[in-house]
Amino acid sequence: MGERAVPEPVTSTSGSLDAPANGSEPLLSVAGISKRFPGVQALDDISTSVERGEVHCWIGENGAGKSTLIKVLAGLVAPDAGTISVEGQPVSIRTPHDSLQLGLAFILQELTVVGSLSVVENIVLGRESRRGPFFDRAASRTRAAKFMESIGFGHVNPLARVGDLSKSEQQAVMIARALSLNARAIFMDEATAALDDAEVVRLFAVIRRLTASGRAVVFVSHRLEEITAIADRVTVFKDGRIAASVHNHGVSHGDLIRWMVGREISAAFPPKTREAGEIALEARSISTRRITKVSLHARRGEIVGLGGLVGSGRSEVLRALYGMDPIREGEVLVNGAPAKLTSIRRALDSGLAFVSEDRRSEGIISKRSVEENLTIAWAARSPGRGWRRESRRITLRLIEELQIRTRGPGQLVATLSGGNQQKTLVGRCLAMEPGILLLDEPTRGVDVGAKTEIYHLIDQLARRGMAVILVTSELTELLGLADRILVMREGCLVGSLPGDAREIDVLALAMGHQDGEGAA
Amino acid sequence: MRSIRAFVARQRGNPAIATLMVLAILMVLFSLTSNRFLTWENFVNVTRSSSTVMIVGCAVTLVMIARGLDLSVGSVLAVSVVASAKLASEGAPLEIAYLAALLVGLAFGLLNAAVIVGLRVTPIIATLGTLNIARGAAYLITSSAILVGLPPNWADLGTGSMFGAIPYPVVIAAAVTVFFWILLNYTVFGRNVYAVGGNEDAARIAGVNVPRMYVILYAMSGLSVGLAAIVLGSRLGSGDPNIGIGFEFDVIVAVVLGGTSLAGGEGRISGTILGALIVAVLSNGLNLAGVDPFWQYVAKGVALVVAVVIDRITSTDRETIVTRAPTAELESTTEGES
Repeated sequence: MGERAVPEPVTSTSGSLDAPANGSEPLLSVAGISKRFPGVQALDDISTSVERGEVHCWIGENGAGKSTLIKVLAGLVAPDAGTISVEGQPVSIRTPHDSLQLGLAFILQELTVVGSLSVVENIVLGRESRRGPFFDRAASRTRAAKFMESIGFGHVNPLARVGDLSKSEQQAVMIARALSLNARAIFMDEATAALDDAEVVRLFAVIRRLTASGRAVVFVSHRLEEITAIADRVTVFKDGRIAASVHNHGVSHGDLIRWMVGREISAAFPPKTREAGEIALEARSISTRRITKVSLHARRGEIVGLGGLVGSGRSEVLRALYGMDPIREGEVLVNGAPAKLTSIRRALDSGLAFVSEDRRSEGIISKRSVEENLTIAWAARSPGRGWRRESRRITLRLIEELQIRTRGPGQLVATLSGGNQQKTLVGRCLAMEPGILLLDEPTRGVDVGAKTEIYHLIDQLARRGMAVILVTSELTELLGLADRILVMREGCLVGSLPGDAREIDVLALAMGHQDGEGAA
Repeated sequence: MRSIRAFVARQRGNPAIATLMVLAILMVLFSLTSNRFLTWENFVNVTRSSSTVMIVGCAVTLVMIARGLDLSVGSVLAVSVVASAKLASEGAPLEIAYLAALLVGLAFGLLNAAVIVGLRVTPIIATLGTLNIARGAAYLITSSAILVGLPPNWADLGTGSMFGAIPYPVVIAAAVTVFFWILLNYTVFGRNVYAVGGNEDAARIAGVNVPRMYVILYAMSGLSVGLAAIVLGSRLGSGDPNIGIGFEFDVIVAVVLGGTSLAGGEGRISGTILGALIVAVLSNGLNLAGVDPFWQYVAKGVALVVAVVIDRITSTDRETIVTRAPTAELESTTEGES
C-alpha cells in the first residue's frame, strides 16, 4: 500500500507542555518488567522507553505481551518484577489513578465514553467546572472546546450526544479528555480498527499535533502500512520479549513480520487461482432503508469484495441479503431461483451464512464455551436425537480444521484470542455447510499470524465451491483476496473493478473522484 | 485452617457447591438452636413447604438465564388459587378446578409474553404490571373474602403423601425439577436459553428464534405457577386472595442463591433447588428457634445479598464449562481447573 499523505507536523502550540527541565531522560522507561499468569509468561524481562515527542509503535501477535505491558502501565496489572521510571524518577503504579497522576493516558479498543452524555460532559467528567455545587456550563464548554480545537476537531458540536457521533469523533473526544488531564504520554491500542481510510489520515494528523507539542504517543496496531507511515520508532514484541526495537528508517513489512513471528511469511495472500462456477447468488436492484438499487452476483468458487468508505452501505448489503434488514424493492435469486430473504431463518435455509463485523456484540457469546458457540446455528435447525454427540463431533472437527487454538471444546470463548474468536465465528457458519458466505470485516482486531490463516481459510472455502462476499476496510486485504471488487458509495454501487486493480482506483471510486489517474 | 482455605479456593467455578455449603452451615446452626430441627418429621415439613418455590423456581431459572424476569408469580399464584377454589366451591369437579388453575397461570404467562415480546416492554415493568392486574383479579373474584366451603377432597393433594411417606407436593416438585433439568441440559432449546442470555444479538444472528423462546419461557413460568397454585391451594384448604405476597421474592432469592446470574447466561436447576431449600430452612429454623417471624424478612433480605456476593467471589476465574461428555472417544474434557 502506498504511503498515506501525512501532513507536515503542525507547529501550533495550543495545549503544549512546559519545556522539560532535563532533556536527556526519556519520558517513560521500564526496565526488567516481568509478569507471569498461570501457564504463561506474559512479560519476560521487558525493557523499553518512550521519548518525548515521538510516535513509538508497538506491534506483535496477540499474546506477545504488548497489551499486558499497557495494563501494567495503566495500573490494572501489577508486575512481578521490574521498575518503571518517569523522567528518570522511579515510580510505583498500583492503581489507574496513579497512572493518571503521572500523565499517562490510555485510549483502548473499547471506547470508554459515556454515550448518553455530551462531548463537553465527557471531556470534563470528574473534574467539572463548578460554581459552588452547580455545574458551570460556560466554563466547562470553553475548556472542552479548547481541547477539541487543538486536535483539529473543533467543528464537532460540543453539545452533541457522544453516542451519536462517528467512531472517529468519539475517539477524538477520548483524546481531548486525555489532553485535558495533562497527559504526557498517550497510549492508543488498535485505535484505527474501526476507522476508514480518511479517518485514519485525520487521526495521524492528530498524532502529529500531539507529538509536535512535546507529548509522546505509543501506537499499537496490527496494520503494517500504518506503522511504517506514522512511526518514529518501532518495537516488536514476541512471546513476552522484545524481538526488535528500531528507528523507522527503511524498515520493510517483511522485516516486521519476520520479527513478529520469526519466520518468513512470503505471501500473506493465497494465489488467486480459483475457478468460478455458476452463479450462486444474484441481487437485482435491491433497496433497503440504507442502500439503493444495488445489483450484484457471486459465483461459486469466487470471492467478491465490497469496497468503499465506512458508511457507504457495504455492511448494509450483507445484512439485507441475510434477512436482517427488510428489502423494499428488487429481488434476490439463490441458485437461480427467487428467494424471499425476509428473515434470518429464511436466509439460513437458503444456504447463506453471515459473520458480523462486531464480534463482541453480535458474534461471540463470551460466557459460553467454544462448543456452544460453534454449534449454536447448526443446533437451531433441530438436529434430532443424538444431537449432543453430533455436536461434539462437529466441534472437534472444526477446531481441527480451522486450527482454533483452545484447550478444549469446553473453554470459555471469552478467554480465546481475537483471531481464534473470529475463527470460531467462521466455524459457526461452516457447521451449517452454507453455499454462500457473507463476511463482514473478518480480520478486524486479529494479529498478522492469524490473519494469514484466515485468508487461507477463506480461499479454501471458496475452492470448495462456496460463493464468498467479503466486506473489508483494509484495501490490502480487499485486493489481496477478491477476484472482483464492487465499490459502494453513499448506499449505491458505483463501480466494479477486477481483482488486480490498483488501490488508487478503488479509493477513487469510493470517494467519488471521477478519474483515478490524477491521484499522487 | 489452611486446608480449609485451599478447599474453599478450589470451589471457584462451581456455584452449586457454594450454595450447598451455605445450606450445610445453616442446617448445623439450626440443629444447635432447636432439638426439633434435625428430625425426619421436620425434614418432610421443610421439603413440603419448599415445594411451591421449587416448582416455580425451576421455570423462573430458565427465564432469568435468558435475561428475563418475572415479578408477577406471587400475584398469579393468588389468582390461580382463587379461580380454582371458586370453581370447586361452586360444585365443579376437582379436575376442572385444577385445570382452571393451570389455565389461569398460563393465561397470565402469555399476557407477560405478549407485553414483553409483542409490545417490547422491559420485563421488570411488564411483570410489575401483571403483578397488579393479577392481584386485582384475585380480589375481584373473591370479593376480597377468603373462599371457604370447599369439597372434602380438596385438601388431599396438598396434605397427603405417596406411599404414606413422601408428600404429594414433593413428588410434584421432583417431577417438575426433573423436567426442567432435562430441558435445560439435554435439549437444543436449553442450550439456546443459555445462548440468548449470554448474547441475544449473537444468538439471533445465528438463527435462534428469540421471540418464540421468550413466549415459551414466560408461558412455562405462568403454567408452573398454576401448578404451584394447585398444590398450595390444596394445602391451605381455602381460596385466599392475599396469599403469595412476597412469593416472587422467595423465588428470586432461591434462583440467585442457586447461582443464576442476574445478567443472564448462567445458572443451574440444581442450584435453584438448593436455594429453595435454603429459603425454607431459614424460615423453618427461625420458627423453631422461637424467633419473631418478622426477623425472617430480615434474614431473607440478608440471604439475597449474601447470595450475590458469593456468586461474585466464585465466578471470577471461571475458564471452562464442563459439559457432560456424551461419547467415549473424546480426549479428557476435564480441563475444568481454573
